Amino acid sequence: MKSIFSLLFAGLLIVVVPAELFSQVSTVYASVLSTKLFVVGAANPETGLYYQRSSEDTVWHHMGAKNIREFGVAVHTPSRGQLICLASGNGVHMTTDGGSTWRITTGWQITEVLAVTIDDANPNFMLCGTPYGVFRTLDRGTTWVECNNGIAQKFTSSVIIDHSNSSILYCSTEDGVYRSQNRGDTWKRTGLNVGGVRVVVQSPKDPDVLIAGTDDDGIYVTRNGGRYWEKSEAGLDHLTFFTITFDPVNPKILYAGGYMTGVYKSIDGGVSWTRKNVGLSNLNLHSIAVDPTNSNRVFAGTQWGGVFRSDDGGDTWRNAGLSGSQVWQITVQPF
Amino acid sequence: MKQVTFVLFLILAVCAGAYAQIVNRETYLKEFEKRVAFVTSVYDTLQTPGYYQIAVRYTHNKEIAVADRMFKELLRDPRGDMFWMIPSIGAYLVGKDKMSAETKAVVRNAWKTYAPYRGDTENHWCMYYSALFLAAEQFPNLPGSEWYNGKSSDENRQEAKEYLIHWMKITTTIGQGEFDSPDYFPEYAMPMILLSHFAEDPEMKTRGTMMTDFLFADFAVEHLEGQYIGGYSRIYQPAVYKPLLSPASAFAYLYFGTGEPTNSGWIVLPALSTYRLPEVIYNIAVDRSKTYIHKERKRVRNVIRFGSEKNPPVYKYSYVTKDYGIGSLQGGILQPIQQHTWGVRYLYGRPYTTIFGLHPYWSGWEVGMFFPEEVKTLIADVVASKGTYNNPDKWTGGSPFERTFQHKNTLIVLYDIKPGTTTEHIDGFFPRNLEERIVDPSGWIICKAGDTYVGWYPLQEHEWKEELETPSNSLNDIGRPQLERVKEMGNWRLRSYKLQNGYVIEVRSKDEIGSFDRFKSELRSHVPKATLTPGSVSVRYGTLGGDKMNFAFPEKRTLNGKEIDLSKTRLFDGPFLNAAVGSEKLTITYKTKKLILDFKAVKVIE
Repeated sequence: MKSIFSLLFAGLLIVVVPAELFSQVSTVYASVLSTKLFVVGAANPETGLYYQRSSEDTVWHHMGAKNIREFGVAVHTPSRGQLICLASGNGVHMTTDGGSTWRITTGWQITEVLAVTIDDANPNFMLCGTPYGVFRTLDRGTTWVECNNGIAQKFTSSVIIDHSNSSILYCSTEDGVYRSQNRGDTWKRTGLNVGGVRVVVQSPKDPDVLIAGTDDDGIYVTRNGGRYWEKSEAGLDHLTFFTITFDPVNPKILYAGGYMTGVYKSIDGGVSWTRKNVGLSNLNLHSIAVDPTNSNRVFAGTQWGGVFRSDDGGDTWRNAGLSGSQVWQITVQPF
Repeated sequence: MKQVTFVLFLILAVCAGAYAQIVNRETYLKEFEKRVAFVTSVYDTLQTPGYYQIAVRYTHNKEIAVADRMFKELLRDPRGDMFWMIPSIGAYLVGKDKMSAETKAVVRNAWKTYAPYRGDTENHWCMYYSALFLAAEQFPNLPGSEWYNGKSSDENRQEAKEYLIHWMKITTTIGQGEFDSPDYFPEYAMPMILLSHFAEDPEMKTRGTMMTDFLFADFAVEHLEGQYIGGYSRIYQPAVYKPLLSPASAFAYLYFGTGEPTNSGWIVLPALSTYRLPEVIYNIAVDRSKTYIHKERKRVRNVIRFGSEKNPPVYKYSYVTKDYGIGSLQGGILQPIQQHTWGVRYLYGRPYTTIFGLHPYWSGWEVGMFFPEEVKTLIADVVASKGTYNNPDKWTGGSPFERTFQHKNTLIVLYDIKPGTTTEHIDGFFPRNLEERIVDPSGWIICKAGDTYVGWYPLQEHEWKEELETPSNSLNDIGRPQLERVKEMGNWRLRSYKLQNGYVIEVRSKDEIGSFDRFKSELRSHVPKATLTPGSVSVRYGTLGGDKMNFAFPEKRTLNGKEIDLSKTRLFDGPFLNAAVGSEKLTITYKTKKLILDFKAVKVIE
């Protein structure tokens, strides 16, 4: 009898395990701004959006237009990548059919788009950040309007739609982090009194926890939606941070990188940091992403050194392709 | 025989170019057609595929099959963004009634499958949207699925028109951003000439013609025998010290009949167009019988960080004679990377017809003001295409520690350089072919360049360096020098390592002052008095013309006891061009002739 149960259990495993493995397939998107050879008007090497269908894959495939000075990418997770937006020199490119067809949704007024984000719950609502400030669409890119009321220095390098309340927005600018409580109609500067904020990110669990990386002042953490910020210094030997990311499953774990920093990892929610650079031959980072289906798998995008990958939570790294590329942003999606 | 004729023609053309005389309209048009023939003559036999070779073959109705084959070959893998858009739509427009249906289809398909980058500078956008406008007119009523950007023909045409009108408006109200660039003049003139010739929308056709007139008028008034004179937003090496190498000089040859004959690719499409330069502008370009002062207001390229004003003003001052021109911008960072703040250009001694100075500055802060990439890595980005940017020996670029004060043919330049700046020296360029370069005991460096005399009074100790190397002059994919030359054999570099620094420049022609000996003698009795301590850099100087100039760095300029207010500078102010800031209206005057370009009314009044 016992052996019959053992056989049945084994049978269940045979059925269940492959299904679990299948569900853990993910897609990695890498936004390549340029290679070292980029000159406007010249025969430049291919750049733009690349993807790997599974994070086990080793081949990068290109998607969409080439050589558009692509800074960022936003993938709508609920649509499993049917809706994707690209932040580029030419504006905001959008596909609604997983990349088969594309359209530039913005006009001449919106240019050099540095970041774009989509409201997961309502994909008609998107934000983009540009050197000329923040722009918003409420009709999935049919019309974009400028919404910079209250922002002093408009240069905006990252934008956030609060995942718990899409009326609340954040953006990082040249004179700090701003917060809006009305979808961008008005903005107020948060309590962070430093300039040159390159990136701001929000905890996937606690919407009041945000972390900002700056050009010359290191990393700051707020645990109350931006009212007070604390400088995070323990273990940090660098000051310039372009990318910070939370582990989507365990937000106590964070990774950060920037100008010649390599990868820093925190396991205490950004209180202290440890360098994790074994195997990382290019320390000039611009993007880091954690696989939501496997927290140990981390991708690091470098400036002109392509992508590196770790399968052990950052302890060791190996080259993962796109050599020579300036990888401005990476996102890993759970499909 | 044919070759002999061609050589004779070339010699005649060279002579005509070197000694341009004012001719009447009828003669001008005849000579213009000769220059058109010269410019295009090479291209209809060239076997290397190229859009200009294609365009000329179609126009000359010669080897249409070859043109078709070249077009299809080039469109197998289009590259070049807006530098592809303009020549390819130009070739299509001149040949669309002659090319095969298959070729037409290949061209059409290219606008569906190849996605050009819009670029990040004013000239990129001007080319991008002009070409897109013309293409959208040629391929009307198509849905977004038939265009590289997913927008319909109507949407593309409308967007392009909106941008172009916006660009024309800011250019005619607060000035061009990428202004007076000897290197980038073609990137504006070409698309405007194509609009003038080919736009079907009557408004855009008129606007194209008016903007072409505007650009040429702006050039003509600061033109001396093929050279663009004055301060510039952008110039490359080697054109900065070999002025006739700049692409604008090719336009001067074609439209003014000055400079040196060239069949540069930049002027092929203009040569094939129906645009003709108005007589009044031609006259302004070539009549140097009277000396004049010309002032302009331009604007700084969009400042996207490290500044509170998006487009601060640029103030230009030029003094033009038949022998030389001296011009300046007020100094500071007015354009990234390739600014030319001041220079003297003269007729004598081609190709090195200039003397100028600069503080060869570079920084992440400077490029971060204008480009959106990360400040920490922007210099590496820039150096990929502008190889001299972070070279301390470079000959182009502005500096936040440099300011000028010009009155007529006297110029004062002051520097108060912060310690630790990327370069802690200033440089002056003195060409090797000067007839005289005397370091006078009075402190003046006194130069003779034919009938032009230049005096340079350094306010601090300095040294001379003879430049030693001349790398090759190959061109990159977009026709720019591959190895931007830093040094030219035998030219002289004045270098001074003092951080509080400056110099006074006096320029006179033989006609103005008489002999070179008199010039030397006058200079010896005019010595500037300077205060040069950190935070307090100033000079008092009585000019050869009897004026008293006081200049305290950075912005206090006093002439004969009266403070100069640069903010009152008009958009154009001189004997030939006049426009108020914000007016959208340029009045072009030559003797009794007048041409008014009224961009508000989209109307030309003669």
